[in-house]
Amino acid sequence: MKLKDITGRLNLDIKAGQNALEADVTGGYVGDLLSDVLANAKKGNVWITLHTHLNIIAVASSKEISGIIIVNGRVPEQETLKKAEDEGIPILVTKMSAYNVVCRLHELGVN
Amino acid sequence: MEDLSLHILDIVENSLRANAKHIEIKLIQDEKKDRLTLEIIDDGEGMSEETRKQSLNPFFTTREGKKIGLGLSFLAQSAEEAGGKLEIESMKGKGTKVTAEFTLSHIDRKPIGNIEETVRCLKATHPDVCFDFESLNN
Repeated sequence: MKLKDITGRLNLDIKAGQNALEADVTGGYVGDLLSDVLANAKKGNVWITLHTHLNIIAVASSKEISGIIIVNGRVPEQETLKKAEDEGIPILVTKMSAYNVVCRLHELGVN
Repeated sequence: MEDLSLHILDIVENSLRANAKHIEIKLIQDEKKDRLTLEIIDDGEGMSEETRKQSLNPFFTTREGKKIGLGLSFLAQSAEEAGGKLEIESMKGKGTKVTAEFTLSHIDRKPIGNIEETVRCLKATHPDVCFDFESLNN
């Protein structure tokens, strides 16, 4: 499934990386402990987190994450969005909780 | 990082790469001020002012062939999430001092972890480097 399909189906707000939404999503990873995400997320995963710090872009770039879904209506810092744009990493925001996002992704067949 | 002892391993790695021979780790818990302060002081090569300013940027590293340097930026984030901050003082040829401050009682403050064990491991794996660890309760 492509990230743009997920964005549409979950009605996610695109904050950065509009041009990279054609990426294929290989699966999902949810976590807020950045060292754990570095250790366990897989290339092409969509990452669900509540963090908004610039460090998430470094982690996503390092792991070749297809996109980041930021939950609970949190708004990323401007510096984060700018770097996401530079790195071509979509930042997608939702008011849903991480639990609900994961449930919806599972319904869509993203595992 | 799950606790501060793991952050310490990361920061000390920077000191070792800067050829430090003496590394001091201080943990100060001040209950009256509700402050927890972690200091890591080394006598390594130090940084230029330009490098020091860049050192909290996760997309900056001095390691060849790497694009990302996460040690200091992760510690800075942990400090900020617990109502604190991270400061770096450095002088080329003299060494570097990293100070991370946390609100001691903050619900999101990372646990301290087993620093004694971390220091024991560092001493065992780097016998040519002098490590001092001090834990103070004010």
